[in-house]
Amino acid sequence: MDNILSVKALKQVFSKETAIDNMNFEVKRGEIFGFLGPSGAGKTTTIKILTGQLHPTSGSALLFDVPSTKMNHPKYLKKIGVMTDNSGLYSRLSVYDNLHLYCELYSVENKRKRIDEVLEMVNLIDVKSKIVSKLSKGMLQRVTLSRALLHEPELLFLDEPTSALDPANSRHIHHGLQELNRKGTTIFLTTHDMQEAELLCDRVAFLNNGKVQLLDEPSKLRRKYSDDTLTVELVGGERRILKNGPEGAQKMYEYMSNNQVITMYSNEPTLGDIFVDVTGRSLL
Amino acid sequence: MSFSLKRVYAIFNKDIKDVSKNMFVLSTVIMPIILAFVFTQSEQVPLGTHYFIINLTFVSITVFVQGAIIAEEKEKNTLRGLMMSPATTIEIITGKSGLSALLTVISLVACMRITGYEFVNEPAIYFAFFMSLILYLAMGTLLGLLTRTVMEASLVLMPLLFVFGMGTLLLEFIANYPNLAFLEYLPNYQLQFLAETVNAGQAFTDVIGYLIVIAAWMVILCILTVVVYRKRVIDGK
Ligand SMILES: Nc1ncnc2c1ncn2[C@@H]1O[C@H](COP(=O)(O)OP(=O)(O)OP(=O)(O)O)[C@@H](O)[C@H]1O
Ligand SMILES: [Mg+2]
Repeated sequence: MDNILSVKALKQVFSKETAIDNMNFEVKRGEIFGFLGPSGAGKTTTIKILTGQLHPTSGSALLFDVPSTKMNHPKYLKKIGVMTDNSGLYSRLSVYDNLHLYCELYSVENKRKRIDEVLEMVNLIDVKSKIVSKLSKGMLQRVTLSRALLHEPELLFLDEPTSALDPANSRHIHHGLQELNRKGTTIFLTTHDMQEAELLCDRVAFLNNGKVQLLDEPSKLRRKYSDDTLTVELVGGERRILKNGPEGAQKMYEYMSNNQVITMYSNEPTLGDIFVDVTGRSLL
Repeated sequence: MSFSLKRVYAIFNKDIKDVSKNMFVLSTVIMPIILAFVFTQSEQVPLGTHYFIINLTFVSITVFVQGAIIAEEKEKNTLRGLMMSPATTIEIITGKSGLSALLTVISLVACMRITGYEFVNEPAIYFAFFMSLILYLAMGTLLGLLTRTVMEASLVLMPLLFVFGMGTLLLEFIANYPNLAFLEYLPNYQLQFLAETVNAGQAFTDVIGYLIVIAAWMVILCILTVVVYRKRVIDGK
């Protein structure tokens, strides 16, 4: 699989503060790549550099083998979709008029149909003719997301796309993003929602203090950081931790033969646990 | 580099819908028209007064409306969306100038009707008005790009109103201060001098100097606008 995006020795210094420090990673074409980190880790700054909104202090980022500093050309802008906290909507216009303008800017065909499609995807078809200033925060976030999808970009950058959403809408959008990904869109997603990352991402990068600390598939990370134990809950509420091996197996046999087991579960760490483990920092 | 009229028109069309609900901008459009009414109370309106109102229209409508709608795009984070779209710098700036240009033309015509200004049918006058429109549009775009909010843009407009919109008042003032004579090269006075010359029935060669100064203002402001705009594209905001 080829890389759609590759970042080398990227560094961003704001006045004196180093926001991104020697960052390296690659994103493969066709994957959903999760960029995880606590507030202030440098997630938004990275997206801004990758999409050509900011030129890095040093280092480079290649998208489609073109430097990010050259992204500001219609030819490349057509291929990317961006949703960040600086993606505003026209508050006096309706949702439809907002999206229609972008259809024109991106030369989208079958505008009406496409607008319905993207609104369907963010579960907002019924607010199509509402004025934007009358929408709730979560609705605004979803309209902004739908706008980023209008032109079917090859590479989609989403900066915390579900941070203001309720679980039902988050789930709706997760399905939509997976569907989009199946059709070939590569997605670069930042989040501090670990469940979202586990569910959606083919690979995740842990970002802390402007550096990528760890990068792998969620399942591999969980296995790598697992302590090889199971927790068994017995009749009477007692909990036992069993280690993988003959000794644990013997115990398990005993419990199960005596019908003592109520439930058992793996002690695989969550991505959140691993993050704390690796960085010594909590995600929120 | 391609130029898509469709995209330009889409941005213009958006602005029309948007401004029809924007009382703040709409109310400023009334000002020169009210002034025009005030000045018609005297029977014979001198040329200086006509041009006072014309130049005031350029500053308070062309510069201000343009500055306000660009500053609002920044304030509401919508300019970034335009920048990230495949629309080129020129398409965006042209599209964003359409509304202010339209409002300017409407107000100029209305003011001239009210004050009874006889527009001299001379190519030099048309040319000078056209270049003035462009240069004030560029000035407004710069105003919007260099300020962060509509409020900030309105504040910065005050000194601009004083310099470009005071008409003969400022001219009489600088007559006493030879050091300030360079202010006569401001585009508003050049436009007025040019009109006076044309009205006096002088030949084209007599007005060419004024045209060159106005053209210079136009070119410099347009270049500055594009430079500042391109800087904004990569400011990460
Ligand atoms: N324009 C700027 N000028 C100065 N410092 C900045 C600027 N933009 C970001 N920073 C700093 O860079 C660091 C990274 O910020 P960034 O917005 O990338 O974090 P983030 O990971 O997106 O956080 P969050 O989860 O809160 O959105 C922060 O310390 C921030 O203060
Ligand atoms: Mg952020």
